[in-house]
Amino acid sequence: MSATPNFSSRQKRQNFLTRFGLLLGFSNAILLPVLAVIFALLHPLESRAQPAASVTPNEMGTGSLLLQTKEDGNYIEAPRLATDVDLDVNGPTARAVLTQAFENATDKWVEALYVFPLPEDSAVYSLKMIVGNRVIVAEIKEKQAARAIYEKARREGKKASLIEQQRPNIFTNAVANIGPHEKIVVQIEYQQSVRLSDGRFSLRVPLVVAPRYTPQDTSPITQQANLKAGWGKTKQGPSRKGSDQAIPAPLMALGGDRTNPVTLKVNLNAGFPLDAVKSLYHAVKIDKVSNTGHRVALSGYAIADRDFVLEWSAVASNMPSVGLFREHVGQDDYVLAYVMPPAVATPQKAGREVVLVIDNSGSMGGTSIEQARASLDYALSRLEPNDRFNVIRFDNTMTKLFSDSVMATAENIGSARRFVIGLEAAGGTEMLPPLQAALDDSHQANGLRQVVFLTDGEVSNEQQLLDAIAKSRGRSRIFMVGIGSAPNTYLMSRAAELGRGSFTHIGSVAEVNERMRALFNKLENPAVTDVAAAFSEKNVSLSPNLLPDIYHGEPLVLAARMGKAAGTLTVSGKIGDRPWTISLPLDQASNAKGVSKIWARRQIDDAEVNLTLGKTTQADADKRILQLALDHHLVTRLTSLIAVDTKRLRPTNAPLTRADIPLQLPAGWDYNKLLRIDAIRDAKAEGKHQQTADKWQGADGDAELDPISTQAQASVALPQTATPGILLILQGLLALLCGASLLVFASRRSQA
Amino acid sequence: MIAPTRLQIIGSTPARSLLTFTAGILIATGLFLAVQGGWIYAKAALAQVLLERAFAASVISGAPEKPWSWADTWPVARIEVPRLGVSAIALKGASGQALAFGPGHLDNTSQAGEEGTAVYAAHRDTHFAFLKDIRENDRIRITRRDGRTFTFRVTSMAVARWDEAEIDPDAHGVHLVLTTCFPFDAVTSGLLRYLVYADLEETMAK
Repeated sequence: MSATPNFSSRQKRQNFLTRFGLLLGFSNAILLPVLAVIFALLHPLESRAQPAASVTPNEMGTGSLLLQTKEDGNYIEAPRLATDVDLDVNGPTARAVLTQAFENATDKWVEALYVFPLPEDSAVYSLKMIVGNRVIVAEIKEKQAARAIYEKARREGKKASLIEQQRPNIFTNAVANIGPHEKIVVQIEYQQSVRLSDGRFSLRVPLVVAPRYTPQDTSPITQQANLKAGWGKTKQGPSRKGSDQAIPAPLMALGGDRTNPVTLKVNLNAGFPLDAVKSLYHAVKIDKVSNTGHRVALSGYAIADRDFVLEWSAVASNMPSVGLFREHVGQDDYVLAYVMPPAVATPQKAGREVVLVIDNSGSMGGTSIEQARASLDYALSRLEPNDRFNVIRFDNTMTKLFSDSVMATAENIGSARRFVIGLEAAGGTEMLPPLQAALDDSHQANGLRQVVFLTDGEVSNEQQLLDAIAKSRGRSRIFMVGIGSAPNTYLMSRAAELGRGSFTHIGSVAEVNERMRALFNKLENPAVTDVAAAFSEKNVSLSPNLLPDIYHGEPLVLAARMGKAAGTLTVSGKIGDRPWTISLPLDQASNAKGVSKIWARRQIDDAEVNLTLGKTTQADADKRILQLALDHHLVTRLTSLIAVDTKRLRPTNAPLTRADIPLQLPAGWDYNKLLRIDAIRDAKAEGKHQQTADKWQGADGDAELDPISTQAQASVALPQTATPGILLILQGLLALLCGASLLVFASRRSQA
Repeated sequence: MIAPTRLQIIGSTPARSLLTFTAGILIATGLFLAVQGGWIYAKAALAQVLLERAFAASVISGAPEKPWSWADTWPVARIEVPRLGVSAIALKGASGQALAFGPGHLDNTSQAGEEGTAVYAAHRDTHFAFLKDIRENDRIRITRRDGRTFTFRVTSMAVARWDEAEIDPDAHGVHLVLTTCFPFDAVTSGLLRYLVYADLEETMAK
């Protein structure tokens, strides 16, 4: 019996060991594959975490001043810049005179590139450059020709300034050959429209002076100032190499508060009695000149990292207030009319029909579909009981939630919400069938019909879609909601224009609520529908071609060219069920500058629309745009403004206008003062500057400047280009191996 | 003496069936993962055949041709490196979906052969695996959808973070950048990208 305890203790030990072994085995068998699966699942997430984000023009909040040199690691500080903005607001337009003094504080010749964002509808029409005591007025030229003239002037060491449109809302001003310690003053004139939202007028001036000395791809240019031997040659290095990282070059200005001086004043002539005028972000001094006119000036210098926004509002009235302006240019009169819809105290809410269309194709994957779902959910929550609605989802297939629009009962909305929440992004994009389904209006007769289309617009058959809208839009209004960081804005804005609706862009989930709220507020309050305009005179060229509905708080703005501004303009429409007309005697229009440019700018947009619609060919549209741009002196995608100082060397092929008109420097500006805008440089930067200066002594003659980069800060973000393929296979094989060995182990045991 | 005892204990029916069950799950998971991984390569290779067909059709028709009806994208160019004897059909856009099928032409960059920098990206282990063999002065031939062919010469290679690559889409001159993930033999995805820079050499109208 003595063996018994022995045996039992051995057995116990045995038991424990086997259990431990089993535990190990199971943990290996179960935990490992689970980990592997988790790991595999994590991969898509990880790759999604770094999307191919790209900087859109809209994201560029401030103007940037960039500098060029070409040596590896070469550092050159940006020229100092002083800016004055003088705005003249007249009714719905603002004309800005932007005066900038570029000063090169270095011992080298530099080229400055100034990138500045402007509102999408802005028109840049004038450039003057002042060098010493000479003023050079820029010519409008075809873009390529202007660029060639500029490049030539730059190579020849002449001062030149070139304004180009990069995108509809991004312009660049390049100034070549600013000599050591030299100043060049450039004056740009542009026109922009005053915005209206929530009954408040606002004017945004991108404050151009926070030069972001971009660390990426600065690839600056410098030349040695040895004029006898031509331009100093910089050592030719490969200009675009991963290793050739430019050095971030902070320029400390004015006691280190990093602001370059900006002065700004606004001469506000709203055209109606003003209620309140205020600047959102900057301290201003406001002088009340009259009931309708105010003078606004910044107190002191602006903080340059914020846009200047001025808001004003009208005293509310019950009838639409109107504005009528004209300008006589050449043979023609140009007329600008704006009509405010009446501020209806209690808008009688007629039932609407709302069709919500959501794109759940694969390209919407990730945050886009979340934004779309959130937007749609919000839209559903805003429906009123007497509204009718439907929801359509599509990828390469489509589903209509209800066969026809249904009343917005709590039950219907509930099932729509569940439907929306269940949507996942997958499949391709076939936008035509859902678009046709949404526009299919065979069951209801009248009333307001609004189609809200949420998509990223990743389609190839844009033309087909636009044709479909043009053909079957009927009474439907189309509101495009662009989702994600880079929606197809071209398609969306054109579709909205054709559908007499609007285009809203939602770039991040955080914006969903705000943007959708704004959109739905608008949708719920249409003030005037079925708008039409008629002139009593003949031969009137009216812009826009297609009159949109007028929404509460927004004016209808019409621009027209006519032989002589006479007779009447009659605008008619419907407010709810009541017809509404208003007649404007054109001969009572007051004179205003810039009306012709608004008309031209809109005609250019119309030409683009006609091109979209296939009504004109690319060549015809380009010809039309070029003609308008040259006639009206506008910078467009086809034209640039170029000024070259001809004093030193006269180029044979560049006819320039030399004008001795004095450039009107803003009040308080003079060169001596500009000189004292002393920047306190970063000691470190100064050191680098010294080093490169030393290096420069060895440079030889023969000048060839590197081309300017116009978008240096918007380097391309590269997509994720690794597949989890190998990883998956390896994990799979590992799991197979574990499984197989376990199986072998188990079967061996059972045999024995 | 010890072994049989232990066997007796382990060999009990519930434990054995549990073992077999676990082994089954493991094998199933393994198969699933391996097939999923293999599918990535199969898809990449298969799609190229369809893309080749669609590209040939669109060169003739002059209009974008979708390789399959539900595709979100369409072929825009053929990329060839004669020295390495490789060829791939590039798609419009570089969404994850497009890249599964072929190299993607980044939307906000210019067309190959136009002023600016055209950027194509593809997976390092499929379509752009050949980038690791590219040397300076290699020729890269791009045939566009309109049938025009451009030959680029490789000027340099570089490695950069995905968001810090020095690519100027609006650079003057005609440039090309091919990019893929780096390092080439890594198993997990990372932040680094391999960049091949090339400049236009000659234009050959078809």
